[in-house]
Amino acid sequence: MSNTEPDFICLHCGLTVSAFAPDGDERDHCPSCLTSRHVHDQHDDGVSDCAARMTPLSVVVPSDGRWRLVHRCVGCDELSEGVVAGDDSPLLLMRIAVRPLAEPPFPLELLGRV
Amino acid sequence: MGRRDHRGPRRPQRRKTVLRARGEQGRRAGPAAESFRCAGCRLDVPARAVGSAHRNHCPHCLTSLHVDGRVPGDRTSDCGGRMTAAGLFARPDGEWMLIHRCASCGELSANRVAGDDNALALVRLAVRPLTTSEAARRTLAHL
Repeated sequence: MSNTEPDFICLHCGLTVSAFAPDGDERDHCPSCLTSRHVHDQHDDGVSDCAARMTPLSVVVPSDGRWRLVHRCVGCDELSEGVVAGDDSPLLLMRIAVRPLAEPPFPLELLGRV
Repeated sequence: MGRRDHRGPRRPQRRKTVLRARGEQGRRAGPAAESFRCAGCRLDVPARAVGSAHRNHCPHCLTSLHVDGRVPGDRTSDCGGRMTAAGLFARPDGEWMLIHRCASCGELSANRVAGDDNALALVRLAVRPLTTSEAARRTLAHL
């Protein structure tokens, strides 16, 4: 979200969200349902005119240890990533983080023998 | 295993005409190159993969190369940087997908895992959010 609009309304749950998190970071997703909006384009490095809803996809951890949330656009399948704010829903975050482990493509018990 | 059993017969993977891009190993051998050299661990990787018609990352260290633009396989990116595996997610049908981030320009891409990918590397990536103690502890404490 740009600085010109201080608050925004979540496209998914309709919550009115302040532009800045309590820890001072600029928000790019709703803290309640983690939904974002496609406004930045990673290819041309500019503003995207898609503006569709972006669903939370995965939690990635760079070397600094802070969780980052990857979103995928419902409209055009683009990916984007943003920092996790302090008041983001912990239940949803943890659900996304452990989701792959609930459906492993191979039996995890065998890993002990590798 | 909490595996879902509603995996129906899936549409077979589309055939793409894969071109070789600048910076991609095996380019001189033409489109039918037998193998490529991994940009991360220098492993000589055969192009044929189990369970995937289009291998796009090293089965040992999961490193990829930034050669595609918006569409997978289009080979329109002129970045050519190394892409390291940043995270994982599970598709609704239970299949794991890798998220690669370009070490050069920071762009993200999602790719299917292959049948011969290093299981240890995949699981390490999957538990990575839980092993970064501070962030996981804070998230769990606020549940």
